[in-house]
Amino acid sequence: MHATPKLHLQIDERSGVPVYRQMMDQLKYYVAGGTLRPGDQIPSIRELAAALAVNPTTVVKAYTELERERVIEKRHGKGAFIAAAASQLTKAEQEDALRRSAKQLAVEATQLHVPSPKVISVVREELSALDPERVSDETPVKFAVVAGGANS
Amino acid sequence: MEAVIQLRSLNKSFRNGTVAVSNLNLTVRQGEVYGLIGRNGAGKTTALRILMGLLRADKGEATVLGWNLWEAPREQRQRVAYLSQSQQLPDWMTLRDLGRYAAHFYDRWDGDLLRQLQHRWELPWTESISRMSGGNQRLAAIALALATRPEVVLLDEPAAGLDPIARRELNQCLIDALLFGDGCTILLSTHLLADLERLATQVGIMDHGRIVAEGAVEDWQRTMRRVQVVFPEDRPPADFAIPGALRSYTLGPVVTALTRVTDEAQLFGIQSLPGARVYVFPLTLEELFVDWFHNTTTPSPTTGKESSQPG
Repeated sequence: MHATPKLHLQIDERSGVPVYRQMMDQLKYYVAGGTLRPGDQIPSIRELAAALAVNPTTVVKAYTELERERVIEKRHGKGAFIAAAASQLTKAEQEDALRRSAKQLAVEATQLHVPSPKVISVVREELSALDPERVSDETPVKFAVVAGGANS
Repeated sequence: MEAVIQLRSLNKSFRNGTVAVSNLNLTVRQGEVYGLIGRNGAGKTTALRILMGLLRADKGEATVLGWNLWEAPREQRQRVAYLSQSQQLPDWMTLRDLGRYAAHFYDRWDGDLLRQLQHRWELPWTESISRMSGGNQRLAAIALALATRPEVVLLDEPAAGLDPIARRELNQCLIDALLFGDGCTILLSTHLLADLERLATQVGIMDHGRIVAEGAVEDWQRTMRRVQVVFPEDRPPADFAIPGALRSYTLGPVVTALTRVTDEAQLFGIQSLPGARVYVFPLTLEELFVDWFHNTTTPSPTTGKESSQPG
């Protein structure tokens, strides 16, 4: 048996990212990282709204979207749980997220007239700066611009 | 969803000639939390006072739960709680006295909730209001307002003067009010836009007595962007405009616009202009607000045609 872990969702009102989106991303992050596993119960709408001081309709929105993406499932009268197929689906989600960032990078590289091999080598450098080993694909990659990551 | 708060073509001027509210239209539906934002003097307080029946409109209609509170019977007014910016409680009384007093007047009075809030906010129970700090007096007023178990809550800058912890407590308490029983509907004015990001469902920007922009918070967070286009020449090409721009200004070769980006494809056209660089930034409500009023706070720079620019 796997006890439902305590979640520490954090809402950043200064990020410009919709609050429901932040909640979705963080829950998915927990799933992708294995902290939340299929069958784990997640907090009720009331609990989460009260704990985060967030409008309950926002939590409803996040849960509805997560259910639509089959990350969670509602069981009648029992609450919401991480869906059985959640892990695989979030892999697809990961790829989506990765593509979004890559697209943005591609646009910027084009605008700055950086040749493709250079772009690829920069990405490689940044990846190894974050994790020189980089063997497993289990750890979710969170893309962040690490200022001065690769020292000159 | 049913409209709980409704303002239709509302107008109000004061004797000194100030036009406080001018053709104001506003609808708040059941269960919504509507954040009214705007610069000082935009008419937010006047609108709330008219809704509460404390001021009479010159023209137009203001109803809460279908009633004009100026003429509504007591039992209808009791369904609505109002907290003004400068709430003065009778300061020789204690919170306990005020609770006992209110219990006689309010049919839905919830003494337990008052005690609960008093405890949570560590408010003195048997000390006179006058001996409380400004922030605690405010919390006491809020606790008394919520203990009436209102169906509608009108708040005029409720968090003004509260420290960050008290502010968070207040937000939490408003969320509790939304979760309690049949829930409630909240209209609040505030300058604390970060709080609205998590609390509000709708936001309206008020300027010169009316709503100039309105939307669902979540939709704004998803679509409102600051788009910046940098041109290689000294200035943008004539007639250049960012598609979807709501407010836009030009400084040299840089065009910055508060833009509604519903589809990234709307910016593809700009990306194909030779040498143009496009940057898209997400916006918080606060940044959006500042961008919205940017034009009115700085002289608008010239665009395209020659003007009186020196040099």
